[in-house]
Amino acid sequence: MFNGLYAVLYRELSIYRKRAVKQILSSSLSPLLFLIAFGWGFGSGVTVGGLPYISFLIPGLITMNSLNQSFAISAEINISRFYFHTFDEYLIAPVSHAGIVIGEAMFGVFRGLLATMIIFVYALIFHVTLSFNPLFPAAILLHTFSFSLLAVTTSMIVKDHSGQALVNNFVITPMIFLCGTFYPIDKLPYAFKLLVYVFPLTYSTKVIRAALTGGDVSIIYAGLMMFYCIIFFLTSLWALRSVEA
Amino acid sequence: MNDNNDILKVAGLKKHYKDKAAVTGLSFAFSSGEFVGLLGPNGAGKTTTIKMLTGLIRPSSGTIHYYGSDFQQESQKTKALIGVVPQQNNLDRDLTAYENLYLHAILYGIPKAARNARIDELLDFSGLADYRNRQVKTFSGGTMRRLVILRALLHEPKILFLDEPTVGLDPQIRRVIWDFIVKINRMKNTTILLTTHYIEEAERLCKRVLIINDGAIIVDGDPEALKDGIGHFVLELHKDESIEEEFFDTRPDALAALEKSTYPCKVRGVTLEDVFLKLTGRRINV
Repeated sequence: MFNGLYAVLYRELSIYRKRAVKQILSSSLSPLLFLIAFGWGFGSGVTVGGLPYISFLIPGLITMNSLNQSFAISAEINISRFYFHTFDEYLIAPVSHAGIVIGEAMFGVFRGLLATMIIFVYALIFHVTLSFNPLFPAAILLHTFSFSLLAVTTSMIVKDHSGQALVNNFVITPMIFLCGTFYPIDKLPYAFKLLVYVFPLTYSTKVIRAALTGGDVSIIYAGLMMFYCIIFFLTSLWALRSVEA
Repeated sequence: MNDNNDILKVAGLKKHYKDKAAVTGLSFAFSSGEFVGLLGPNGAGKTTTIKMLTGLIRPSSGTIHYYGSDFQQESQKTKALIGVVPQQNNLDRDLTAYENLYLHAILYGIPKAARNARIDELLDFSGLADYRNRQVKTFSGGTMRRLVILRALLHEPKILFLDEPTVGLDPQIRRVIWDFIVKINRMKNTTILLTTHYIEEAERLCKRVLIINDGAIIVDGDPEALKDGIGHFVLELHKDESIEEEFFDTRPDALAALEKSTYPCKVRGVTLEDVFLKLTGRRINV
């Protein structure tokens, strides 16, 4: 299993090294715009559940930005499957599917963690005080690993690049806007609440926000994060296997 | 049971998709060191066959054995015996030649201490040493092709699959690639299966050809023997609507027929294209 895992990481990190500056810059911009628009523009003087809005927002931006960056591996896997066919090198090699899946997902985690660091830098710049629960590192690892596995799954299922865009527009974007990233979900109408409790991002947001704002981390929500992670690992393996049909 | 002298043994191999059958039943065996061509028109099932033999797609039915080991059951063990040169140059363009090869070395479990020596040895073998640290996106098509072939040799496979190795290359580069493949077969005693729709490629390189049409092998043999089987000379009659061929054992017979013809015509030696035409009524390259 380790040959496949190590090979995937070697490839991804070798390529990433050459693009690091561009990718870090592009993953810095949109959270900054959100901070300016919602933190200063709209949210100054507003409190949510006793917290200044910007302190409420920062953990949301962490889940959003790390989700975006972790999930972005799907687009790159697509390019390697459909345009350059470099993904075939993994499929014909004597390595296990689990190694390929975990290797790609670990790269997704790496990108998600970089995106998290960017938000911490913004928190410093904007003088936002966060508390730090020791469960936070575990939560962010689980969150980025989970969405990287979802990325691997979808990139194996879609038949082309436009299929991937469809997933982004119909799954990722709605999650970002509905799952409590920017506002507490109890303000949503009942029907939406039901929908929101299906989306895995809801649990990531709740756990990560609690861990960074001094709230209680719910064991049930952490358990549900773990549950989705296991589901997405299984779907990744299944989807990779279906590529060879 | 399987005969372990056969490096590859295929029996009843089929692949069908929802609406059509791509391969309708292949059976053949290769022994070590053979140089085999899979010749057929575009769409005959050559690439599908290679993909099944190399593990990119699963057969609908049939069996594949390498040295007696079932390819489906023991895929990780058997995949290490195979080298694959796919139709597209599937290199990582942002990486250097060295990085592409290093990636392959990891994938095939070449011990860390041996990786660099193996890479440099093969770069020398293929005359690509100067390209070692350059990014692949700066390479010409012929150089990329050689690098893909070289990469497939890195783990010292017993059998090398080449899917249309010279498609899209200009004639003198094509010869460089041919020489390289022949050198691999002779010096490393690697068994080779190449697919092609170029008659000349099959005739010049292969000691054995399998001609494939509509997903089935229609003939299997030594190219010279196959040509001898239909006669040595062809009279081509250039009729208004089409070209027709007549076959003769000797040149005088062919010339005599040419004398009598009222169409523009010419006499030439027999090729594998004629073998295909005789068996199917169609040409390989339309």
